[in-house]
Amino acid sequence: MSAPSVEKGIQFIREQIDAPVASFFSSCVHCGMCAEACLFYGQTGDPRYTPINKVEPMRRIWEREFTLWGRIKGLFGLSRKVTEKDFAEWETLVYDACSLCGRCSLVCPVGNDISGMIRKIREGFSAAGYAPEGLIGATTRAIEIGSPMGVKLPAVQAQIGHLKQDTGLEAPLDQAGAEYMVLLSSMEIMNFPEYMEAVARIMKQAGKTWTISSKAFEATNSGIQIGASDLARELVQRVVDAAEELGVKTVISPECGHAYTAIRWEGPNLIGRAYKFKVQHILEVLDEFRGQGLLKFEGKETAKMTFHDPCQLVRKGGVIKQPRTLLNLVADNFVEMTDHASMNWCCSGGGGVSANERADELKFKAFRQKKSQLDELQVDTLVTACANCRITLEEGLEEYEMDIPVVGLTEMLAEHLVEDKQEEQA
Amino acid sequence: MSSITNDSEMRQAVDALAAPVQRVLAARFVANVLSLSDDSRLQRVLDTAARPDAGEDELADAYRAAKAAALEAHARCGADGEWIDQAGYFVARAAEAAVAPQIRSYAKGPAWQAAMSARMARTCLAGEADEDTHDQESQAQYRILTEYLTEASNHD
Repeated sequence: MSAPSVEKGIQFIREQIDAPVASFFSSCVHCGMCAEACLFYGQTGDPRYTPINKVEPMRRIWEREFTLWGRIKGLFGLSRKVTEKDFAEWETLVYDACSLCGRCSLVCPVGNDISGMIRKIREGFSAAGYAPEGLIGATTRAIEIGSPMGVKLPAVQAQIGHLKQDTGLEAPLDQAGAEYMVLLSSMEIMNFPEYMEAVARIMKQAGKTWTISSKAFEATNSGIQIGASDLARELVQRVVDAAEELGVKTVISPECGHAYTAIRWEGPNLIGRAYKFKVQHILEVLDEFRGQGLLKFEGKETAKMTFHDPCQLVRKGGVIKQPRTLLNLVADNFVEMTDHASMNWCCSGGGGVSANERADELKFKAFRQKKSQLDELQVDTLVTACANCRITLEEGLEEYEMDIPVVGLTEMLAEHLVEDKQEEQA
Repeated sequence: MSSITNDSEMRQAVDALAAPVQRVLAARFVANVLSLSDDSRLQRVLDTAARPDAGEDELADAYRAAKAAALEAHARCGADGEWIDQAGYFVARAAEAAVAPQIRSYAKGPAWQAAMSARMARTCLAGEADEDTHDQESQAQYRILTEYLTEASNHD
């Protein structure tokens, strides 16, 4: 990536203006529904956080350069160019006040993908050098080390060794011809090592072969979050190369929302071709195993539980039924939040917001939406399927002094495996 | 009382203990790695956990303190993770496991959870080096458990 500059930023935004973006700007009817759907606007009332306003610099470039009326206005000095001041002013709107949750896109009556446009405008901000330090650091580490959090292969190998030592379970590394290649997020490696154990237990019971690639174990893609397609492409390509080299049939995206979006939905477009393998989220795989009768669960939790839908997985990814089917297998008292599934509210830390320390105060304000949903339900446990949501929820609950434990669904399901108990007794 | 020499024996012995007893044992596992954390709240958490007669309110306070310590110490999404700092996170998680209310009936017991997090804490110190600190901690836990069971059988 060459040195950032405002000119480069404007050029990158210009390049993002394709036919869909032009039609979105032409068809916006200024109804304000996107504002009502936005977590950040809703919890602050600040009109700058209206989703469509977040892409205003892009709209100005579109109008000035791509419309007849804009060009005429430009000739008479009636339209303003996008300047460095605009980049400085909009940076926090684009990165801190948007978790790319996609709720605005879902409610738009004319079908404008506003969230998608915010993702696109980030390309320009990143190229202009107006991106949060946290995301720049994460992206640099992802490219140089292979992980946004600097996790190196020896750390993964150490966890694999401990898994074997503590439980007798195998997590095969670089096993060519395995059916599944499992990706991990750095958050899971560093904060939630129990995820790898849960996967190992499940795969063993399902009788499936699986592997972790030493060349591409990392699932997260900070190139997507910061808005740098060239870097996002490189990170996707590493996974594709590893999966094809090992000859796996399916790559499993872990409990990480944006990792799923990156590898499942954006990946083929980024590298310009279809994969030779399938990509599934771990919950899709688990539900498939359940449907095939490969997993046997025992017992049900009686505690009152609800499921927080990770936006990238549920609203954007369409994995709606699976977590509910799976949760109902092991929970007797599962209740839904008022707005759930595709209309869920974000945890407030998606889209790189949680990696951006500057955004903490705003993130906690936005969390009040989740707080009110949880206050209404009074649950004993909150279940989710994204390591980033999990930490963001835990931080929000702590901020508002709410005593609700948060647990990953894959981990909870593994606790209920029948074989799990039998093996332990043996 | 025979010695505990492997994880299978440890798991069986731990699972046979009642929850309050597990909590006291968990406190001992955490105490063995407490020096890896500089969070002073955790000593108070362990003081509570180690008392068989600790009341519900005391345990709830201890749980909140341990949870807060774990949250403060966790590696932030996208941050440059430092394994040495991460040791403190796992110590806090071990302490949290010791005093957490048992909401999910199929979750692993407090002593086992605390033991696993304590091992992770020790492992973090090794970072990317090839030193088997994990095994060292496992051996220490077998010894702690053996001593505990011996004490308990002497009391009976």
